[in-house]
Amino acid sequence: MSPEGIAAPASRGGLGPARAADGSGTQRWVGALAGVCTLVLLAATLEIVLDAALGHAPLIPRSPEISAWLQGVGERLGYRVFLIALLAFSAAYAGMLALAGRLPARWVIALVAALNLIVFAGPILLSTDVFSYIAYARMGVVHGINPYLHGPHTIKGDEIYTYVGTDWLRTATAYGPLYTLFSYPVALLGLKAALWVMKFEALLASAGTLVLTWRCARARGIDPVPALLAVGANPLYVIYGLGGAHNDLIMTFLMMAAVAFTLAGRDAPAAASVVAGALVKVTAAALLPFMLLSRRSGATIIGALAMVLLAALVSFPVFGLHGLDVVAALNRDAALVSTDSFATEIAHLFGKPGVFPIDHDLLKLALLVIVVHLLWRTWRGYDWVAASGWTLLAIAVTSTWLLAWYTLWSLPLAVVSRDRRLLFATLAVQGLFIAHQTGPLFSPVSVS
Amino acid sequence: MSGASAAARRGDFWERLPEPLRPREQERRGRGDLRRVESTLLVLAFLLFAVAIVNDVVLSTHVATRITADLRAWRTLTGHDYHNISVEQDLKGHTTRDVLCGNTSPGPPGALPQVCLIMTGPIVHGTRASHGGFYLAPFTPDKRINRYACFGSAVAAGLCAAPTPTGAPHAPVSGADG
Repeated sequence: MSPEGIAAPASRGGLGPARAADGSGTQRWVGALAGVCTLVLLAATLEIVLDAALGHAPLIPRSPEISAWLQGVGERLGYRVFLIALLAFSAAYAGMLALAGRLPARWVIALVAALNLIVFAGPILLSTDVFSYIAYARMGVVHGINPYLHGPHTIKGDEIYTYVGTDWLRTATAYGPLYTLFSYPVALLGLKAALWVMKFEALLASAGTLVLTWRCARARGIDPVPALLAVGANPLYVIYGLGGAHNDLIMTFLMMAAVAFTLAGRDAPAAASVVAGALVKVTAAALLPFMLLSRRSGATIIGALAMVLLAALVSFPVFGLHGLDVVAALNRDAALVSTDSFATEIAHLFGKPGVFPIDHDLLKLALLVIVVHLLWRTWRGYDWVAASGWTLLAIAVTSTWLLAWYTLWSLPLAVVSRDRRLLFATLAVQGLFIAHQTGPLFSPVSVS
Repeated sequence: MSGASAAARRGDFWERLPEPLRPREQERRGRGDLRRVESTLLVLAFLLFAVAIVNDVVLSTHVATRITADLRAWRTLTGHDYHNISVEQDLKGHTTRDVLCGNTSPGPPGALPQVCLIMTGPIVHGTRASHGGFYLAPFTPDKRINRYACFGSAVAAGLCAAPTPTGAPHAPVSGADG
């Protein structure tokens, strides 16, 4: 990030004639570099989407053909091509961030829109989660089964069953009741239509997150152009988050709505937004204590309680108490272990085959220490948005179950926070995550 | 009640706390030491993660290279160019000893008698040496009670406990028989 990037809008230069502070030679270089980076970003995204459109591959989940019209240009997506495209995307993203302070807003908005739309047009990338979302909806609507009590294995005859990830077939939903209810209407659609609706929801949530990021940045006196670029052209946001149509985007939208409401002095809807986010994915609840400590207003408590009450009234008749039992879902997820988690990597570094129960306890303790420290700092005047972002990042880093889209939680908060270290830390964690994916690039070509 | 008076009343409430416990609207200046400590911890954490990731990538690359050599050796020694070969690593002992099992004749994976080779030692010319092995009946897990017809180093190690089924393949694999 350039020093004049996100923090200091007054010093922004640019490519357009209206911003002629730089010499024309520098402007030309900036324009040329930005042009190259833009082309690389678009080409890498197109490469992944067109190759993925050919269908099932090691990185692409089995899916009904929803993007057959894109077939015929690419080749089946392999690890190497994907990783090279991801690395090229990341390098171009870094280049664009370095130049962001000098780029015209229209350029950045057009680029981010193009990246989002290209991924939207393509197939589901890198995750089977969206099929789980649809399966839970069909369980409830079509089969009359409570998705908080049973996994998709109870609907073996349903056409969605074959697309759900094998790890999740016996897993009841871990998502909040608001999201589950919100997804119920898609159960009435055919599978392809349901997928498109899910993709469209993710696209809308992404657009909403980006608009709110822009508004929040401007409200805080931060240059909105680099802020928009940092989120909307982020490789993990575009390829993994939007590509997989993850509901994390709906959660981040509601989190950013909460920040925007707070900046507008509307504490009640801000708190209600955080609770709504937590009722999509419980992680969003991490914002609430920091908001409460920072605002110290009755409206915040009333807004939060009102949304909890509303959610309870709506979800209890449908799911019973199970829909609100987030502790059970958290405990279950906390026991999962992924090879990409930092805990697993550190265990390997110390010669252990993986994480043990004691490691789970140590990680929870570390997270608790971090959260208590941040709560105290927020009480004493630290930016609550930054504290929330640090907490979300700490949750991702200390989790033994780390997935790419978990590293996105703190990103929109980081770009509008008053502590720039949060953005560096979030991008560093993402960089390390991407670096960890590169193993196949150094391995022999054929491992069958 | 007006917003201003509510804020004032809230302010009165918090003012009763001792100064070090009172909430603040903005952090006091001069928190540089705390920031330095936090930043140092962040940098140290980043370095630890970076080293762990490099270590993990190197490890996985070594394992992938070794397994490629194992697969090549299995195909060469058995004379079968199959793709569905199971590989079991020594995850408990952390050694580079791998056991590779595949069908003795064409068919669905695991549905026919399996020949298993024990691979050890360094990679030489893209392949590894095997000094022993055994057979497994169809659809049986690789456990001592299911293994039969041990050959090479597997005999001395006592890896087999099952009798050879009548008519089942049991000949030592040439080049892997010690």
